[in-house]
Amino acid sequence: MTVLFLLPLFLFAQTKTVTGTVKDENNKPVAGASVSIKNKNTGTVTDESGTFSINATAGDVLLISGINLETVELAVGEQSQLSITLKAKATELTDVVVVGYATQKKVNMTGSVSAVSPKQIENRPVTNISSSLAGLAPGVYVRQGSGKPGSDGASILIRGTGTLSSNSPLILVDGIISSMDAVNPLDVESISVLKDAASASIYGTLAANGVILITTKRGQKNKTTVTYNGIFSTTSPMNMPEFVNDYARHMRLINEGYTNVGQPRIFSDATINAWDSASKIPNQLNAIGVPNYIAYPNTNWADVLFNNRLLQTHNISVNGGSDKVNYLLSLGYLDNQGTIENTGTKRYQLRANLDAKINKFLTLGTQTFGSIQSFEMGNTESAFNFLRQTTPGLVPVWNGRYGFPHAPEESSTANNILGFLNNTAGDDVTTRFNTTLYATIQIMKGLTFESRFNYTLSQNESNSHTNAPPSERWNFATNEQKAFLPNLANLSTSYGFSKTTQRTIDNVIRYTTSFGRDHDLGVLVGYNELYSNSYNFGASKQGLIDYDITVFGAALTPTSTTGSESDYAIRSTFGRVNYAYKGRYLVEGNLRYDGVSRFSPATRWGLFPSVSAGWRISEEAFMQRTRDWLSNLKLRASWGRLGNNASGNYDWQATYASRLYSFNNAQASGLAVGSYANPDLQWETTTNMNLGLEGSFLRSHLFFEFDLYRRITDGILTTTPIPLTAGIASAPVVNAAQVTNQGMELLVGYRGKAGKFSYSVSGNISYNTNEVTNYKGKLVEGYVTDPLGNKVYQTNLGAVSTGDVNRILEGHKINEYYLYKTYKGSGTYFNTDGTVNINGGPKDGMIRTADDIAWATAMLAAGYKLRPANAVRNNAIWYGDLIYADLNGDGDYGNSFDRYFTNTSSLPKFVWGLVTDLSWKEFDLSMIWAGAFGHQYYWNADGYNNSFVTNGNAFSTLFANDHYYYDPANPTAANTNITATYPRLKAADPQNRAVASDFWLYNAAWMKLKNLQLGYTLPTKWASKALLQKARVYFTGENLLMISKFPGLDAEIGAGLGYPTMKQYAVGANLTF
Amino acid sequence: MKKGLIIICTAAAVSFSSCKKDLLDTAPYGSLATESMWSSDNLTDLGVNGIYNALRLGIQNSGASGLEIYQYDRFGVTAQNRDAESMLQGTITPANGLFSNNWRNFYEGVIRANDAIANIPVKSPSAPAKKARLIAEAKFLRAYFYFRLNQVWKGVPVYLEPVKYDAFTKPRETEEAVWNVIVNDLTDCINEPNLPAKYAKGNSAYGRVTKGAAYALRGKAYMYMKKWAEAAADFAQVKTAGYSLFANYNTLFKEINEQCDEMIFSMQNTGIDGLGSTTQWYCGTRSSFGSCWNTYLVSPTVVDLFEKTDGSRFNWDDVIPGYSSMTPTARQVYFLRDNMTTAERTAAASRGADMSKYLLVGNEDRIKQAYQNRDPRLAACVITPYSTYNGVLGAGVSTVTSRFPYRTENSPTFDLRTDAQTFFYYLHRKFVYEGNTELLNRQYGPIDQPLIRYADVLLMWAEALNEQGDVAGAISKVNEVRARVGMPALQQTDNTKGTFVSGQTDMTERIRQERRVEFINEGINYFDELRWKTWKNTVFRAGNGTQQIWGQNTHVYTWPGDYIYTWPIPQAERERNPKLTQNEGWPQ
Repeated sequence: MTVLFLLPLFLFAQTKTVTGTVKDENNKPVAGASVSIKNKNTGTVTDESGTFSINATAGDVLLISGINLETVELAVGEQSQLSITLKAKATELTDVVVVGYATQKKVNMTGSVSAVSPKQIENRPVTNISSSLAGLAPGVYVRQGSGKPGSDGASILIRGTGTLSSNSPLILVDGIISSMDAVNPLDVESISVLKDAASASIYGTLAANGVILITTKRGQKNKTTVTYNGIFSTTSPMNMPEFVNDYARHMRLINEGYTNVGQPRIFSDATINAWDSASKIPNQLNAIGVPNYIAYPNTNWADVLFNNRLLQTHNISVNGGSDKVNYLLSLGYLDNQGTIENTGTKRYQLRANLDAKINKFLTLGTQTFGSIQSFEMGNTESAFNFLRQTTPGLVPVWNGRYGFPHAPEESSTANNILGFLNNTAGDDVTTRFNTTLYATIQIMKGLTFESRFNYTLSQNESNSHTNAPPSERWNFATNEQKAFLPNLANLSTSYGFSKTTQRTIDNVIRYTTSFGRDHDLGVLVGYNELYSNSYNFGASKQGLIDYDITVFGAALTPTSTTGSESDYAIRSTFGRVNYAYKGRYLVEGNLRYDGVSRFSPATRWGLFPSVSAGWRISEEAFMQRTRDWLSNLKLRASWGRLGNNASGNYDWQATYASRLYSFNNAQASGLAVGSYANPDLQWETTTNMNLGLEGSFLRSHLFFEFDLYRRITDGILTTTPIPLTAGIASAPVVNAAQVTNQGMELLVGYRGKAGKFSYSVSGNISYNTNEVTNYKGKLVEGYVTDPLGNKVYQTNLGAVSTGDVNRILEGHKINEYYLYKTYKGSGTYFNTDGTVNINGGPKDGMIRTADDIAWATAMLAAGYKLRPANAVRNNAIWYGDLIYADLNGDGDYGNSFDRYFTNTSSLPKFVWGLVTDLSWKEFDLSMIWAGAFGHQYYWNADGYNNSFVTNGNAFSTLFANDHYYYDPANPTAANTNITATYPRLKAADPQNRAVASDFWLYNAAWMKLKNLQLGYTLPTKWASKALLQKARVYFTGENLLMISKFPGLDAEIGAGLGYPTMKQYAVGANLTF
Repeated sequence: MKKGLIIICTAAAVSFSSCKKDLLDTAPYGSLATESMWSSDNLTDLGVNGIYNALRLGIQNSGASGLEIYQYDRFGVTAQNRDAESMLQGTITPANGLFSNNWRNFYEGVIRANDAIANIPVKSPSAPAKKARLIAEAKFLRAYFYFRLNQVWKGVPVYLEPVKYDAFTKPRETEEAVWNVIVNDLTDCINEPNLPAKYAKGNSAYGRVTKGAAYALRGKAYMYMKKWAEAAADFAQVKTAGYSLFANYNTLFKEINEQCDEMIFSMQNTGIDGLGSTTQWYCGTRSSFGSCWNTYLVSPTVVDLFEKTDGSRFNWDDVIPGYSSMTPTARQVYFLRDNMTTAERTAAASRGADMSKYLLVGNEDRIKQAYQNRDPRLAACVITPYSTYNGVLGAGVSTVTSRFPYRTENSPTFDLRTDAQTFFYYLHRKFVYEGNTELLNRQYGPIDQPLIRYADVLLMWAEALNEQGDVAGAISKVNEVRARVGMPALQQTDNTKGTFVSGQTDMTERIRQERRVEFINEGINYFDELRWKTWKNTVFRAGNGTQQIWGQNTHVYTWPGDYIYTWPIPQAERERNPKLTQNEGWPQ
């Protein structure tokens, strides 16, 4: 019908034949592109050479579109010969990924590279890039080890641990080795993670642990935008340690710990009762008018220490340019107060990226950025140590005065943590400056030469001195000052300065060409050198003239001066060739030749090749039929060698180090061998194999990527133990070990759209294991007959292995746990003949009942040993103590031959992430989850989970609520608990806490909701009224949820206690003018 | 134009690249390459100084290492550790760090000495006389380190030449063979004409090895070898070299007298970070300058050993009748302060004190009687109950008194404050600094640590004479030491007096007694008790432990067997060198 109706119009207008050629961005003809006339039912497709011919009328609009290409609308005018270039549609088939010294289309890559979209780290209240990467890329394990402002950068492992030396990946920012966290997250344009040898070997010896490439934004032509991004966030600790803060209960627990081992109790009933009764009437005033809640404190130190605070960031960037000059200028400000008093940081960041096209063939430019960051001086290391070295029995601060323990029996060394946090004053400022100047010369079509020079400076200046007021501490109950201002003569002030500079030169020639119809060739040759130097000095003086006058000129006695310097250089040439046939068969080769100052002239040069190939199966003719549902399928494989030079800067040279002495009270210099040399020291080599399959289906709605890999690292740079008889000089670094690391990675995603609702979800999971495949030989253990004819058990453990609780041994994981085994008895006790059953006794290794005690006594009587205490009595092995298995069957239960390898380590076998993005009309919602599992932590910490008791130390509720108690003299005592998890409380504990047993081994699996974000973009008509191009407001939360069975503070941080990561709720605005 | 630009740019880029040809040839800034060592007179001096530095190994500023010489008193009769010691609880194993750290530190000293002894003759350009002296010093130090090794391990591998780090594979020598190595080295020192007999006070070389020191150490080695005549002869040579007792025991351990004629060889301390002593930190109290830790305490056992001024034995029952028949816990009452509040008395009673014996007024005076009219070395070495100490409170000097129960260090009470105020211990006074001018920092006190002093020589000399049957000669040597502190002379004429010596066996006991009270906190007693094989009966006597003043145990000692008279070869070292046999009896 329509056709008939339109026909007269068509006839009426002047019709002509329009012909044209459709090409893609690479100037290649696009076959099969559809050409139609808008609102008319007329159309055609292009032929093999991209040409078409269609009848149209002036005023018609042509719609030209191709698979995975953006649609172009073009009005038909006077001309009848058209030339049309179609841009690639932004799909994964056309995604361009930054790789070493170049960019590549993702579909054409033959290596294993993960790209992280900057969108996933933008608009988050994170303070650095590294910690925001968790969960975003397969094979990348991001672990934030501390939440301390300014030290909260995450450690990143790419494909697990493959060596005993450094496992840190190489970080390049705009091609220059740099700290990831020096970069403002909002300046990031792209992040690529190079994982296999094919993609990383262009960086040779720097790349054995993978490479992370970050590029920053550049100015956009003919478009000026001003963007403001601001976030206000509340911060609170992700998790807090919990302690007994009822002081009366605390005192009873202390007494329990001492009386359990037959020592006199510490706290008298009078003191305990005083607290008990005072806590019932907290507001009553004592004799001198102090309320009970102050006079009889029950302080919750975790509450005092951790507070909700504010974090804010403000960023402004200006982006614009002309045909000649493009620029990006950005300014950033961060104020993170942390969750603990006096530990905050402030940072100012600035960036100027400039590109100037001088003429047709020459472009000059710079990427320059800098930052100034200051840190507050609170000593959090002490604070965390002191968190367990204090008690609820002192007031943190009252009326501006710091508290001191109130109970007469309390240890006077129970710490006022708040006082410690605030007793250091001074400055700590880090300044960074980083500038790259570059020139690109277009020598001829396809041939460019680029030269870059970079200078990086990082320096730290610090001054530290005592902030005197917190030294004064009071017993508020008696209004008595108990600790005093220190003697001025005893106070000191110190200054420190450190500076690291790095110079880099890069010269690269690139050539790309196509010949014939089916051949694409790229060649790259480059030269690189780097020199880095660090030095520092520090000094301190003692004796001030006043508490606030702390400059050296006003201090009296110099007490120490230190200083050191070191340097490091590397020089390399490298090259790459890649070739594609019909865009279907892809091969690439890389070669790098590196020399480094860390090895002797004879061994410092190394050659690191890689080859890789890809086969785009989906492009084959026989796959024609699958094109409607299979958009891409590629198989790729790579092999290559990488290096690692992670030894000390001068390890190959033996040196004498300063060893001072004094004669007649005058300092005298001395020298002694400081380190043994190994002139044969050379590169550690990683041979890397990777097999990958990637594809996308259903018009790219569903996509996946799967990688299998194996890394064999040989000649690992490590120090193996030398005999104690060789003294204290550092053992030489040697090329000693081999580690095999293997695993697989899977990324699966789906994205789609239904009306105004669009969604995407992608998940990744990686599996990785490592094994030390060669070290110092096999472990040989067993009985031998000594010269005296005695059968003795012998082991060469010390000769073939290093470490203690975490050991390195051939055939085992890196740092596998090596522990005593908690005894598991049969639950019966005596044999029918009345002899003791040597496999009997307590089922879970803890002596719990009178039968268990009788069994242990009988065992000792029969000549068996129960180490280490080896006696049954209240200060040795008693009700509520652990005993250990006799693994070598020598009748000595728990001697040093009874440790075993657990086949677990603290490194997770599985790491995963899940990212979802939803949007509906103006609303958007996104979520990032990250997690790890398949690992364990050995955690045996005083005050937190072992049952060791010292007066003046705290009790975590973990074991305070769940420890064994039984007194045979008073079996019905109220606190009796014979089914508890943790051993009895002990003021001296060689039996439980002092033994590195698997009792202290915990499952460390964790998952976290890393980020949740809900945004609303103002409709353009409203935004434009406020002169805004775009305005988005959002609520976001960071670290909102943690799911883990690990009872410690935070399984992500690790077994120990550290500054907790922050849980954040934030509001932000993103305004573009 | 275009070509020109390219050339300029390329040239610029290339010139960047080639501006530093030796880019990769870096060398450490802070240390000396091996090839250069010993090649100048200065480096020769520095290399020998480096051996002396090995005397300081084990000093730790972050908590007592347990490896410093004075700290070994905790295993002996004279002192105790506030905390439990696995050595004394009978649970120590060959894997303990005490053994591995000492083994490594002493061999480090040996290695440094071997380096000097091997290389000075061939590489050093120093004057021959100087080289000869330095080699003698190195040999003395090597002998000292082997002495420390053999003293406890009884036979260790001997290396007298530099050895590559992975070639330490020798088996153990016999104890005898190691003593001979020590004697040989010391004999070389004694025969070296360029080694001075003694350095005068204030000499810039003070602190270096002397012939006197070599005689003293060789004599001590002969004591272990039971070569009594040779030992006595060497001790006589020490006297000839010009060493003598310092007149005042009270001030002998102050900085001003650290170079007096009594000091034969001392580890040099000076008040500089990294070069000082740690006795203040680990033997002081919270009332001491720098707020110190009373990690190491004086044992009640040794306090009771101090004789009365008339030379008779101290007996508690003479001061407090019935004292010794009471339980230790009940005796606590005698040490309580006057005028205790009701609450304090209730608490004391609940701790087990027999409060029926308490005197509201006069309790302090009664106990002070126990410490009066005693050997003056008691007051010089120990802070006894209700005695005073010149400490520091806040910014000012404060004289505090040791009282129990502790109330406050503030005015007007001025109680001495310790780490653990609910325990009442005897505290060290020797090597604990007073006021706030004697040192800058608790981490580095300036007073030298004597390793051999003349009183040690005199008492060993007495022992050597006594062992040869010369009781009279022995008495005269012991009496020199007693006379210095005003204690009455031992004698063999009047058997009604406490000073009467009945014979050689009695004299043996007298000499041991004298050594126990003379050398508190000097790291001598533990090794004496091992050498005499008395350790089991003295330290591990039934019921002994870390004790509060009245004899109540905080940690009980347990004797695990005679094997602990000898230290075990560190387990890690046996795993690396299977030729090292273990000493008999040690559990794994």
